[in-house]
Amino acid sequence: MSDWVEIKKIAENDEYATYDYFFGPNHPGMHGNFGYVCDVVGSTIVRVRVNAGQLHRGFEKLMEQNLWFQNISLIPRICVVDPDPNEVAYCTAVERLFGIDIPVRAKYLRSLALEMSRMTSFLMGMGALGAMMGLYSVMYRMLTDRDHLLDMFEWLTGHRIYHMYNLPGGVRRDLPEGFVTKFMELLRELEFNLREWDSLLFENPVVHKRLKGIGTVTAEQAVGIGLTGPNLRATGFVADVRKDDPYAAYPYLDFDVITTEGGDALARAVQIRKEYEMTIGLIRQIIEKMPGGDTKVFLGNPLKFRVPSGDTYARVESSKGEYGYYVVSDGGLKPYRVSVRGPSLPAGLALCHEHLPGMRIDDIAIWMASLAVCPPDIDR
Amino acid sequence: MTNSEMAQQVQSHFPKSSVASRFHNQLEVVTDAAQAPAVLATMKSLGFEHLSNITCVDWIKYNRFDVTYNVWSYQHRIHAVVKVSVERRVNSGEGPEVPTALHVWPQAQAYEREVHEMFGIIFAGNPDLSPLFLHNWQDIPPLRKDFDTEKYSRQAYGVGGEGEGEAQ
Repeated sequence: MSDWVEIKKIAENDEYATYDYFFGPNHPGMHGNFGYVCDVVGSTIVRVRVNAGQLHRGFEKLMEQNLWFQNISLIPRICVVDPDPNEVAYCTAVERLFGIDIPVRAKYLRSLALEMSRMTSFLMGMGALGAMMGLYSVMYRMLTDRDHLLDMFEWLTGHRIYHMYNLPGGVRRDLPEGFVTKFMELLRELEFNLREWDSLLFENPVVHKRLKGIGTVTAEQAVGIGLTGPNLRATGFVADVRKDDPYAAYPYLDFDVITTEGGDALARAVQIRKEYEMTIGLIRQIIEKMPGGDTKVFLGNPLKFRVPSGDTYARVESSKGEYGYYVVSDGGLKPYRVSVRGPSLPAGLALCHEHLPGMRIDDIAIWMASLAVCPPDIDR
Repeated sequence: MTNSEMAQQVQSHFPKSSVASRFHNQLEVVTDAAQAPAVLATMKSLGFEHLSNITCVDWIKYNRFDVTYNVWSYQHRIHAVVKVSVERRVNSGEGPEVPTALHVWPQAQAYEREVHEMFGIIFAGNPDLSPLFLHNWQDIPPLRKDFDTEKYSRQAYGVGGEGEGEAQ
């Protein structure tokens, strides 16, 4: 125990000593219950150990003890900034096992919630990336925009952070009256703000200097280690769950997979900026094409809801990559097993051993923010 | 290529394993520990290059563990669920053993460590199965079905015992 709580001197000679350096769980550059323990010489990292496990798979165990519908209130908590992919992946898996298809309007509403959630997550992610380089004004400006989106979420779902909007069988409520008009106004505003962020962040020479060459991966390495989402597309690899394994309303929408060449932190930032713009376009398309009709299928009394025995894997493209839910049912009132595939696990637990050694302490936070390492989905 | 065509192809390589196509783009392969390395390596060479995760299901009433590999093919857009069934030998000294998949997908390391500490599965050939999430864990692996969360909470935190917490 003692070697985890004290700063340990590893070695020493006449000129310098090597120490254990704790990066997290309590650190301004760490956004979550997670940490790296680094051996450092001067400010250069020589070895890194992962200090994970503050949530110790409690979510997965807890899900086995809840009813199928009860889990909806637990699942979004796996990812704070981007909760909706969790709900949709779980609901898709349940519906697939149950053998039902949900109404088309419900699919569109799901896609709408997913894309809104993606925007909030990108704003948080880009803001955090700026803050890690000392550009706090970027973060403050972006969090304002995120808050406007959260207002919309509150109007649509009744909740700001954890929406619990998707249920097996559809979504909880339809669009409120007047929502579309207000939301379109907000989208125009957000699109207008992109110019400001370009000058503050994406075209800022400081940012280019700090991000260039940090955490470079090739497409082959990225596939080998299991990177997905924007991190994979920033290496030039064409893959998007929305296109490859479509769910919700994505089969009806018209979009291309965007990629960026480079594979370093700068390429990932540019990729996120492109995808943010694409998301605005997708939301407009969703609202334009949304048909009328029901928003859910009634599946009977939630307290007596049973899913036929079987197992399936459902994946969703989140803002960080592939969120997957492997759901097993034995025909009972509760899930037999739910296993979550978090998108940041490959980067956070595996890639760190390749990238962090040789890096300076001040770049750890940038490296984490650029790969969107979200600790809760490593631990869950 | 559709998932049923892929299922036939996998079945032709491994006549003893049970291969089935299901849903619209999924594939289920059930095999045993002896065949697992060959099956996994073949799956990768058939295009399943993306390992989504490795997990385990504890079928306590059938006395077996299903170590499950979720793999995806970017090329064919097919998902495969490879289940390796092992006997649930938790009380004997040997423990349930499955060959490692490290040589096929190097990123399996993190998942194998996790499944080892959460279920007690031994991945033969993996050099580092040290704890990843649990710290100073003395009890049985916690994601197993015979792990009693309530009893553990009472022991570890000393609350909610007989009559305790009601009178006050």
